[in-house]
Amino acid sequence: MSKPILQLKNVRKAFGTLAAVDDVNLSIGEGEFFTIVGPSGSGKTTLIRMLAGMEKPTSGDILLHDKRINDTPANERPTCMVFQSLALFPHRTVGQNIEFALKIRNVDPAVREKRARELMQQLHLPADYYSKNVTLCSGGERQRVALARALAFDPQILFFDEPLSAIDYKLRKTLEKELKDIHRETGKTFVYITHSLEEAMVMSDRIGVMRRGKLIQVGSPNEIYSTPRSRFVSEFMGDVNVIPVEANGAGSVRSQSLGASFKVLANSVEAKAQCLVVRPEFLRFLDTPADAQNSLRGILYNEYALGSRIQYQVRVGEKVFLVEKLRQQPFKGKLDDEVLIGWDPENAILVADE
Amino acid sequence: MFDSHLTRRNFMKTSASVAATLAASQMGPFARPAHAARDKELNILCWEGYNSAQVLDPFRSSKSANVKAESLTNDPTMINRLRAGEINVWDLINVNNPWARKVMMPEKLIKPLDRAKFEPYFEKMLPQFKPPYKWAMDDSGKELLGMAQRFGPYSFVVNTDKISRKTAEDQGWDLFNDPKLAGRFGILESDDWNVFGICAIAGFDPYKPHSPEEVAKFEETAKRVLKNKKVVGDIATMNQALISGEIDCHLTGGSYSVSPARADGHLNLRAITPNKGPFAGGKGGIAWIEITSVVNNPQGSPLAETFLEYVQDPVVAHTVAFAEGTFNPVAQMGNPECFKLFSKEQLDAIQWDSLDEEMARSVEYDIVPDYDKLLDIWNAAKKS
Amino acid sequence: MSGDSSFLAQPGRRAAIPIMVLLLLGFVAPLLAVVGFSFMPPRTFGLWHEPSLENYERIFSDNTYVSLLWSLGLASLTVVLLALICYPVAYGLVRVFGRWSTALTLLFTIPLIVSENIRLYGWVLFFIKGGVLPGTLKALFGVEMGDFLFTPAAVLFGMVYVYLPFMLFPMTLGIAMVPNQMREAARDLGASRWQVFREVELPLSTPGLMIGSLLTFVLAVGAIAEAKVLGGQRIIPITHDIEIAFTYAQNWPLGAALAVLLMLVVSVLVLTVLKRFDLDQILGKR
Repeated sequence: MSKPILQLKNVRKAFGTLAAVDDVNLSIGEGEFFTIVGPSGSGKTTLIRMLAGMEKPTSGDILLHDKRINDTPANERPTCMVFQSLALFPHRTVGQNIEFALKIRNVDPAVREKRARELMQQLHLPADYYSKNVTLCSGGERQRVALARALAFDPQILFFDEPLSAIDYKLRKTLEKELKDIHRETGKTFVYITHSLEEAMVMSDRIGVMRRGKLIQVGSPNEIYSTPRSRFVSEFMGDVNVIPVEANGAGSVRSQSLGASFKVLANSVEAKAQCLVVRPEFLRFLDTPADAQNSLRGILYNEYALGSRIQYQVRVGEKVFLVEKLRQQPFKGKLDDEVLIGWDPENAILVADE
Repeated sequence: MFDSHLTRRNFMKTSASVAATLAASQMGPFARPAHAARDKELNILCWEGYNSAQVLDPFRSSKSANVKAESLTNDPTMINRLRAGEINVWDLINVNNPWARKVMMPEKLIKPLDRAKFEPYFEKMLPQFKPPYKWAMDDSGKELLGMAQRFGPYSFVVNTDKISRKTAEDQGWDLFNDPKLAGRFGILESDDWNVFGICAIAGFDPYKPHSPEEVAKFEETAKRVLKNKKVVGDIATMNQALISGEIDCHLTGGSYSVSPARADGHLNLRAITPNKGPFAGGKGGIAWIEITSVVNNPQGSPLAETFLEYVQDPVVAHTVAFAEGTFNPVAQMGNPECFKLFSKEQLDAIQWDSLDEEMARSVEYDIVPDYDKLLDIWNAAKKS
Repeated sequence: MSGDSSFLAQPGRRAAIPIMVLLLLGFVAPLLAVVGFSFMPPRTFGLWHEPSLENYERIFSDNTYVSLLWSLGLASLTVVLLALICYPVAYGLVRVFGRWSTALTLLFTIPLIVSENIRLYGWVLFFIKGGVLPGTLKALFGVEMGDFLFTPAAVLFGMVYVYLPFMLFPMTLGIAMVPNQMREAARDLGASRWQVFREVELPLSTPGLMIGSLLTFVLAVGAIAEAKVLGGQRIIPITHDIEIAFTYAQNWPLGAALAVLLMLVVSVLVLTVLKRFDLDQILGKR
């Protein structure tokens, strides 16, 4: 990680007796695209509002370039937020919106316009939109105006409060890529919050997962994806097969509900309650139990085509397992057939049951 | 869209009465087709007093009748409403003395009473109402047109702590020509009476045709008096202003207006009838006598005459004299049965002590021949 | 929609007939009657005379304009004063007073239950010689209060007092409608509290100001009781002129002509203002 630009030390924010943000420690590097993911109510919005200066921490410190900024109001911080609602000024044109921060800073009108037009070009906004009423712009255009407005005064950090959550899938994908491009072009630090793992994965350098006010895991998208630390993180990262297990000697765990034992990597077993997590793409159909170190027999219950992959539901007793394979891999199983599924220890991880 | 709503509201505020009247007058015949017998219904158009619950409720309950009374404070308005078609609405009309004889009977807006039945009541009234009483009779002297009850002098009112009764009676209307009074007097809003008052202050008799010179003098006087006045308002405003000391006296007023304040203990406020003035015979003041007549309503209620008899009763007459809002002498005080009901305080409130001499110094309310012209001048002067 | 272009082809329109008839009878008919009356000869009481322009000629030849100017002038002043008084109060109700706002709103609303005339007479007792205010001033400080009651200033005071809620509540709504994120965004972009107010809150709450101003102006032009009660008829507003024409003067056609004139003047003013300040444009909607 590069030199830290923003540091959080034991940051806590309580509303009444409820701690919306609880003892968060975090360091964000200069130029980083950092995404905080979490379900709604996890405290991520409160956290980013504290970073932007719209809320004050109850305790703990927020440091910008090693300087405490807890009490610096939003308008005096070299940061800017793109809101979920975008909060574009409806009584202003596109140009006036983009130039707002510069007007506040008494920048010469000609300079302001030049800067606004540069940003519009950079963000693929047609030049004649300069004097267009902002409320007449489409959803995607408004996103770009909001981004341009935030970039106009050259802030050091940009905060994003789920700006893409209300946008349809296709446009969202386009804007995600554009945002990443802008991040690269400007080299600024972006702190982004979202409840969508997909969004986080696509854009981020690092991801922090929040749950109930706590930052429970921070890492690169790959780390978060392949080595989640808890059942919550693993489940939040998408469809997974989770089997509650208990220790069963070295290199082995036992599932009470399935009445089966599974081989695991020897050093991963811990005494406390754990879950065995197997991603659907690591589960495979077997011809004989000998084809994998762990295997289960079940009924092929349903199948879903996911573009390049196909996902199958396999019922083992009461539990439904998800199995994914690439479309081109051969498989002759039919619905209601008895099938054999299995995996090897290196393809499964043991996580805390929390 | 917005503005039309508001304009409507604003408009309704100012002219709701027009709409209502219109509905009654223009659509009345359609709205009331072949009316059922109205023997349990009575509509009275009157001056304030007869519309009070004290007077009407006993009548309502004894006859189980639906009685509606609307009070106005202006004779021409009431008569114009009959003219405009409300003759189909009202059963009784209560206005000042000349209108029955000079206007309403000739225009067939009212109908005569049964002389044999009603004339005996006049016998029991105060001496000046002895039958045949001029204002209750038609020109020919044959038809009885209505019943007399409330009356009183009505010239101006002073606070005798500030202006003595003697000064006021001696100076008379000239009081209001005195520049020293500027900013210290009010005008009780009552446009026809205001016109009489301005004529008197200008020094001529209102009840005769006026020369152009007199009209010019009227305009000059109206403007001057309005310029010097402190306040124009209703009876309550005048009495309050007198009591508080905002004003020392007010133009237009008499026992009708000042009696509530006197009844409240403010005996320093007094209706004044000047000793002399520009009226016929050199008289100094004006007095009014109300005549209540039966409206010539095609579907008139039989209760109209019943009501006229009802208010002759000594107890009811006393109630009418002291109905809420305004207290007045009544003709029925000539009957000892009625007179004994008045307490000393009540007699003080209506200035009984000087009533006879004041009536003697007053001419009776009459119709101004060029009223419309003078009223227009008066109303225009109010604005300048 | 369909080939049948008859007005009554659509069920919705047929269903609207009763209410249309009601509106025509209750709203359009009286209006037309007033317009009709304004063209009748002076001092007549029916609608079936030869039409004449005499009433309008008279309005323009005598000093009616004085009343009209008083009405328009006082109404404009009322609107200006109310805008200045109500904006801070409305702002406080929405943003500052918090849970006290409900109580304060109630305090502003409760007087509306009492009739306007009674409240005005209350103020007469307050301002009259020896009344609450002058009496207190004299008793406590020995100060003699100058004339206030029965002056045009008292009329203006009464109008500001009576129409305050009609400015305050649209304004409160207008300010409350400015989204919080809009203010936060402005602040985040570097605006000071004052700049947030000037650049965002004030322009975005103008619809409330506009609606309040129009409402109070139109109501205030129609005011009559204030001039009568608190002003002691020192001045005669146009509405009083109309009342005089309809009552004492018994000149209905003149009164109708005055009413029509007032309606025209107010409509033109209001429409002009509405045209200049397109509410939709301020709100950014089309």
